[in-house]
Amino acid sequence: MERVPLERKVLSENDRIAAGLRERFAERGILALNFISSPGSGKTMLLERTLGAFPAGKRVAVLTGDIQTDNDAQRLAKYGFPVRQISTGGACHLDARMIERGLEGWDLDQIDLLFIENVGNLVCPTSYDLGERAKVVVLSVTEGEDKPLKYPGIFHKAELMILNKIDLLPYVPFKIELARECANRVHPGMEIIEVSCTTGAGLDVWQGWLEHRRGH
Amino acid sequence: MHEMGIASSVIETVRAEAAQHPGARVTKVGLRIGELSGVDAASLTFCFEALVKETELESAILAIEDAGCDELDLTYLEMEE
Repeated sequence: MERVPLERKVLSENDRIAAGLRERFAERGILALNFISSPGSGKTMLLERTLGAFPAGKRVAVLTGDIQTDNDAQRLAKYGFPVRQISTGGACHLDARMIERGLEGWDLDQIDLLFIENVGNLVCPTSYDLGERAKVVVLSVTEGEDKPLKYPGIFHKAELMILNKIDLLPYVPFKIELARECANRVHPGMEIIEVSCTTGAGLDVWQGWLEHRRGH
Repeated sequence: MHEMGIASSVIETVRAEAAQHPGARVTKVGLRIGELSGVDAASLTFCFEALVKETELESAILAIEDAGCDELDLTYLEMEE
């Protein structure tokens, strides 16, 4: 019997492509963000509100992933910025190669900000580096406060948590302090921004974060 | 459920490595999986076994070592002549 040591990442091929993407983004100063959440927590709505607040001519583009349909791309295209749907055809996550293909034909020199909306899923997208500068996890108050404890991987890796749908707090038994505590246990010091995409509450804080993060 | 894709990546790497050792048969594949990796060991084993069925890797077993963070690493191969 012979034992050959390997010590390499299982997803080394994905990581290699992601590293290439990261370099392309860095060369051009593009802030690429990877949005991850469970289905229905409001990623697309958050992007709609974010795009809607940008002036025409803002150098932003969106790649949006879903298993089927281009519904999200249609919703996001209304704001006049470049948007592409990536249909994974069954896969529960985006991988770096899909991003590479999704960007084909786009002049990256014309983009400062790239939003990547992952497939709604808190588990699988966590494993795949897309070359982003940061992962943003979206949690909504109609879910459980303990999601960070149930899905620690993504809450550990995300730089920012957006707590969405806070306008519904009077109608649901969600305790914000408990959610913050759960997030902090998994990721001490993680930034958390509370928003409502319906009323617009907190979106100014989110926009401030984006501007600040673009500079760094 | 992305363990099928992970299992395919494992098999790809194992095949590439085994190709460097002609005539050897892979008997064990060492993996390190962190609790924050989002990968379930039992599900990965199930997918791996399904994918290697009736191939040259059919008798290879996965030896999975738990880890504390987001590790998802291939650590070693065991082979027999």
